[in-house]
Amino acid sequence: MKNNNDLTRRRFLLAASAMSGATLARISVPSLLAITQAACTARDDGVAFEVLMEKEAADIAAIAARIIPTTDTPGATEAGVIHFFDKAFAAEMSEDLYLARGALDEYNTSIPGATTFAGLSADDQDALLQSIETSEFFAFLRQMTIYGFLAMSDYGGNRDHVGWDLIGFEGHHGGWQYPFGYYDAQVRGGSDDGE
Amino acid sequence: MANSVTFGTRTPVDFAIIGSGAAGGIIAKELSTAGFDVVLFEQGPYRKASDFTHDELAVLYRYELEGGGARNSRQTFRSNAGEKAMTRTGRLPAEFAQTVGGSSVHFTANLWRFRDIDFRERSLLGPISGTNFADWPISYAELEPYYTKVDWEIGVSGEPGPFDSPRSKPFPLPPMPVTSSGVLLERGAKKLGLHAQVEPLAILSQPFNNRPACINCGYCMWFGCEVGAKSSTLAAMIPLAEASGHCEIRAESTVFRIETDEKGRANEVLYYDADGNERGQRAKAVIVCGNGAETPRLLLMSASGQHPDGLANSSGFVGRNLMFNNHAFVNAVFEEPLNDYKGVQVTRIIHDFYESDESRGFYGGGGIDARPLWSATPILHAELGMPPDVPSWGAAWKDEFAHNFTRQMSVVGGTTSLALDSNNITLDPQNTDDRGRPSIRVTYMDHDDDLSMAQFLEDRAMELVEAAGAVKAWRGGVGQTTWSAHLLGTCRMGDDPASSVVDRDHRSHDVPNLFICDGSSFVTSGRGQPTMTIMALAFRAADKIKAAATAGEI
Repeated sequence: MKNNNDLTRRRFLLAASAMSGATLARISVPSLLAITQAACTARDDGVAFEVLMEKEAADIAAIAARIIPTTDTPGATEAGVIHFFDKAFAAEMSEDLYLARGALDEYNTSIPGATTFAGLSADDQDALLQSIETSEFFAFLRQMTIYGFLAMSDYGGNRDHVGWDLIGFEGHHGGWQYPFGYYDAQVRGGSDDGE
Repeated sequence: MANSVTFGTRTPVDFAIIGSGAAGGIIAKELSTAGFDVVLFEQGPYRKASDFTHDELAVLYRYELEGGGARNSRQTFRSNAGEKAMTRTGRLPAEFAQTVGGSSVHFTANLWRFRDIDFRERSLLGPISGTNFADWPISYAELEPYYTKVDWEIGVSGEPGPFDSPRSKPFPLPPMPVTSSGVLLERGAKKLGLHAQVEPLAILSQPFNNRPACINCGYCMWFGCEVGAKSSTLAAMIPLAEASGHCEIRAESTVFRIETDEKGRANEVLYYDADGNERGQRAKAVIVCGNGAETPRLLLMSASGQHPDGLANSSGFVGRNLMFNNHAFVNAVFEEPLNDYKGVQVTRIIHDFYESDESRGFYGGGGIDARPLWSATPILHAELGMPPDVPSWGAAWKDEFAHNFTRQMSVVGGTTSLALDSNNITLDPQNTDDRGRPSIRVTYMDHDDDLSMAQFLEDRAMELVEAAGAVKAWRGGVGQTTWSAHLLGTCRMGDDPASSVVDRDHRSHDVPNLFICDGSSFVTSGRGQPTMTIMALAFRAADKIKAAATAGEI
């Protein structure tokens, strides 16, 4: 971990613990009621965030991009997960934004030089996240990233269904005809439709 | 929502039915089409098929069909009376839908019948000390015509299995098309000398009773059916009740008390309307079909000078004997894609271990099925379906997630639950829900035999997926049940008023014009699929209530 030191790690952990308790207790029942399809027009590039400032958006997007990285397939970045965060924070999770913002600020000021999380190398980002991966702050970021990657694209993420395409889920189709998969196709064979 | 008929609140209607789910929807249809005037109360909104979505975040994580879930219900849970019951986030301890049609709207649609032994196991096996293990006051033979009625009126697809108790009529509809998880269960069963059979489903394989066939969209578990092919009471019963001109569906109306007159008869139900205003509906008779958690809560909230421990609770059995059905599961990944997110959840089951077997060393039995379970929808898979040997994020997580989703299934075992005084529904003394009612407090700890049975089934599930050729498999791990959608036993039926709440015809022992019918009526738990029996009991109760009303005996 080149750019990190004990102080950084300790401060980030501290910030992470500030996200615990009441805030995170709500996360498994996310209060995203106000995120409606109509509100989700920011999926296009270049559209300003509703509540996220550019710098913190860069950090959160960078964290999401380590949780579901871009490899030879699309990851959180291509799915536009950051827009899911923005929509959620703009809706009923404004308090969570305040706490996340505090955690990120505190952490970033402790990074030597002018660098923020987004400015670190991928390896350093990973090492840092590993150091907090059991924290509730990280659990929150991970859960939100997963939601943003896999929820209906109306919520701002999962652009062009890249999250669903990654796993072979074609859930945006209406219904299906058998055979559904390899094994039921096997027993059905020719004229035997299995039923 | 326009009603075909509206009743005034001050003139007593023939029946006020509380709860529009698997039981209430059926009883409302039966009574209204027989010409009785019925107000059917439902605390949730009146959603129609076209209102249901595939929005996983809203349905599974915002609990859209469950009244918003824990943040609104503030249900509490503890494992024994010595603990402080705590509210929680995530899944409700006692899970049920709040929408017209109740939990029959969002259930997975598994619909096997109980077997003959379920009703008389206590006689066959003898007592189990420390439990309220008992026979039912009715037999399979008495219930059989009503199981058949469910098949033909609700709409069930299936095929008889080798161990089923006798049926008087064939299934009205052929089985749903087998899925890959069903094929793999069959493959494993064959190798192990077990018998995979077709799972009866409350899903239409063909158009039936003016309803369309299933489109195999895959969104059954926890979702409402957008085409009306799932045989909920919303799809199958409510339209007939409304068409009768004798049934008013009063949605978004939360009953919080049943009043009794000086003769000890129920005469009015008090409820909050959609705006939270207190209202009262007078009725000649009241039928409570809340579910195994809401029904005891309402009775306990209806305590009065005449009924100090709650209405219909002279036995003290209201809320007691809660049975959840423990569940065990094994997840398995196969070489080729199953795409089990397509099609219905369960197409094949195994009932070889249904009966209790002394040689196992404990009481219990169970049913086994194969299904996508966590691999039915993407977020569910990411949150609950990933194997324990991969990191929880990053490239390795992503690769495994991407590879497994279409290749994964689960083999699930559902167990018996023994009836215990210590497992119960009570009123939480500290918390209230969003409507101001005392929160439901769940106290629950599985009996050791229930856990042993779950372990037994998990072991069999592991053998099955290995025999089926899984390339990777891992156990869910057997543990205490801390939430369930199976809410059984809390107002049990019986002939003895000292140890039951309702008689064999669902009339409460204490209040002659108060009837109770839902999962709370169960004496034993069955093996993990209660809805068919709730529905059959409802058809039977409706017959008994109709007969009593016609004879002037209510």
